[in-house]
Amino acid sequence: MENSTEALVARPTDKVLIYHLRDVVRTREAEGTAFRLRVPSLQIAMGEKIALIGHSGCGKSTLLDMLAFILQPTESGAFRFRPERTDDPIDIAAYWDKSRQNRLGDLRKKYIGYVMQTGGLVPYLSVRDNMSLSRNLLQMPNNDMAVEELASHLGIRRHLDKFPSALSTGERQRVAIGRALAHRPSIVIADEPTASLDPIAAEKIMNLFIELVDELNITVIVASHAWRHIKKLGLRQLSHRTQRTSDGKLTETVVTG
Amino acid sequence: MAHLSEAFRLSGKDYLREWRISGSFIVALAAVLGPMMVLFGLKFGVIGSMVDELVHDPRNREVLSQGSGRYDLPWIEKMAQRPDVAFIVPRTRRIAADMQLASKVSNKIINVELIPSGAGDPLLEGLGALPSGANQIVLSELAAQKLMVKSGDTIDGSIARMFRGKAERQHLDLKVVVVAPAALFNREAAFVAVDLLQAVEDFRDGHRVASLGWDGVEAPGERIYPGFRLYAKTLDDVAALQKEMIAQGFQVRTRAEDIAVVKDMDRNLTLVFWVIAVIGLAGFALSLGASLLANVDRKRRELSVLRLVGFHTGDIILFPVLQSVFTGLVGWFLASGIFFGVSFVINKLFADQLAEGQSVCRLLPEHFIVALVLTIAAAVIAAMLGGLRASRIEPSEGLRDI
Ligand SMILES: Nc1ncnc2c1ncn2[C@@H]1O[C@H](COP(=O)(O)OP(=O)(O)OP(=O)(O)O)[C@@H](O)[C@H]1O
Ligand SMILES: [Mg+2]
Repeated sequence: MENSTEALVARPTDKVLIYHLRDVVRTREAEGTAFRLRVPSLQIAMGEKIALIGHSGCGKSTLLDMLAFILQPTESGAFRFRPERTDDPIDIAAYWDKSRQNRLGDLRKKYIGYVMQTGGLVPYLSVRDNMSLSRNLLQMPNNDMAVEELASHLGIRRHLDKFPSALSTGERQRVAIGRALAHRPSIVIADEPTASLDPIAAEKIMNLFIELVDELNITVIVASHAWRHIKKLGLRQLSHRTQRTSDGKLTETVVTG
Repeated sequence: MAHLSEAFRLSGKDYLREWRISGSFIVALAAVLGPMMVLFGLKFGVIGSMVDELVHDPRNREVLSQGSGRYDLPWIEKMAQRPDVAFIVPRTRRIAADMQLASKVSNKIINVELIPSGAGDPLLEGLGALPSGANQIVLSELAAQKLMVKSGDTIDGSIARMFRGKAERQHLDLKVVVVAPAALFNREAAFVAVDLLQAVEDFRDGHRVASLGWDGVEAPGERIYPGFRLYAKTLDDVAALQKEMIAQGFQVRTRAEDIAVVKDMDRNLTLVFWVIAVIGLAGFALSLGASLLANVDRKRRELSVLRLVGFHTGDIILFPVLQSVFTGLVGWFLASGIFFGVSFVINKLFADQLAEGQSVCRLLPEHFIVALVLTIAAAVIAAMLGGLRASRIEPSEGLRDI
């Protein structure tokens, strides 16, 4: 069982906080048992690289989904998002309260890239179209070779005109990473992006991913249960602790960072 | 705008990639809509030409006085003013309304009935000429054949009477202004102006006809007509006119019943057609709706991905809606093709029984438009359910579907 760890990277004080959460709770219930994720305080600065490492079922996806505005917090003391240095923070909690799903979608479209554990590609679109999905929605030009270059970096350039069904799992993950980065978001959220791959491929793709994020200067949050090689990448780890009540009915994970 | 065009593009790609499913729905729609269009085309063609015939044959608008009544000129004139009356002329006594005709080229002398006519007579409409004055005549085809004359010829008309104990005969030179084809009137007859008919009657009665220089006693008082020829303005006016005149105690005869039969048939067949059409389209919409709903469940994950990258709720609803509009559009196109093929064959089969330009199975352009609008409406309604379902997918749920 993982336990709380000190921050691996010192946090500069003059940072702009891209995420600022206080007392955010999400409860999930299923067949008599309940799970609760509690975030007393979480601050993520722009440009930071964050790792969320924990065993299966501890609530990593729950947290990341909330950070990507695709899962509504049950309660939130404060939930602020500041993707632009020059703009005021955006009150995400208020958007959820007012059911402004489209507004949240617009924020996602512009500022967030999301890589899932598997898949997440649109089967009827070619690799190129999948990677251009957000770019097209944002009406970004598609003649500037950005997608091609990214594909080259990811080693999937020769697959650009194929459909996802014709790719291996690892190649699909590379496409998913490409899609999350193609529109130059402020932050990339990756939920165990390499979990479905063999350890060697996983390490290779993870290294590539972090390298690209570094190069593009994008904030990143990556969830993983493979602690070993994440450590080598020098990411700041969020600390968390999981407890179960004595009757075993409620599991609670508390995340801070 | 980017959202709309992307939704359009992506739903199109999805649709094309699933061409097997899309295609089978297009075919299913065409299989419902095509025969329906043929059915309606048949109804429209057959009943339509029956109605056309009714409308175009002025005899169907005729209101004939029966037996012997008493109508004076003011009544006739009052009737002529009515908006539902196209034409009315009084007729004189039948017994006094005939004439002997002879021509130089034929040795036959025939006795024809004289029918009053005049400006605006619907029966002679389109022949290009109407009789006016006491020296013009329109011959029926049968009469013209016997006399071996054609329009432009002049014939001799004569009438006889016993006056003050001796037989008298008057002759008139009559110009044949036009010959009425047998299709219009298939007895030996002549259409003449009311003036001439009145002169003939006056002469027979021993009255003086000053305009023609015929001697006799002065006619007493106002003329009373025993009957008239009346044409209603439209087919729909016939039944009402008949009813009203019978209520006033006049004896009249019309073809109102024949008209009613065709109209009833039209109405009933239209009803039957709509029942079939509604059942067919509703069935199609239900099956399309069910499949789109299942589609949304099947594509939950893809739709979630689209929400994840920022598509709005409305864009997501658009997906099944656009796809079913594609189905509607292409299905309608195919159904129109089926209609053209089948109606061509049907019309060919019946070509012998049909006049030039007539068809048993036909549709007007507006019928195609109506079919398209109904189809698209049914398709959109069917898709709304799937669309709403799709819009409710929480991205975090759909993304982690197993
Ligand atoms: N849709 C749901 N309904 C109810 N409970 C859920 C639901 N999804 C997840 N849970 C519960 O919430 C807890 C946290 O789930 P979560 O998916 O966040 O775990 P995780 O850390 O991402 O696990 P993994 O490493 O296996 O992906 C689990 O105990 C799970 O049982
Ligand atoms: Mg997970």
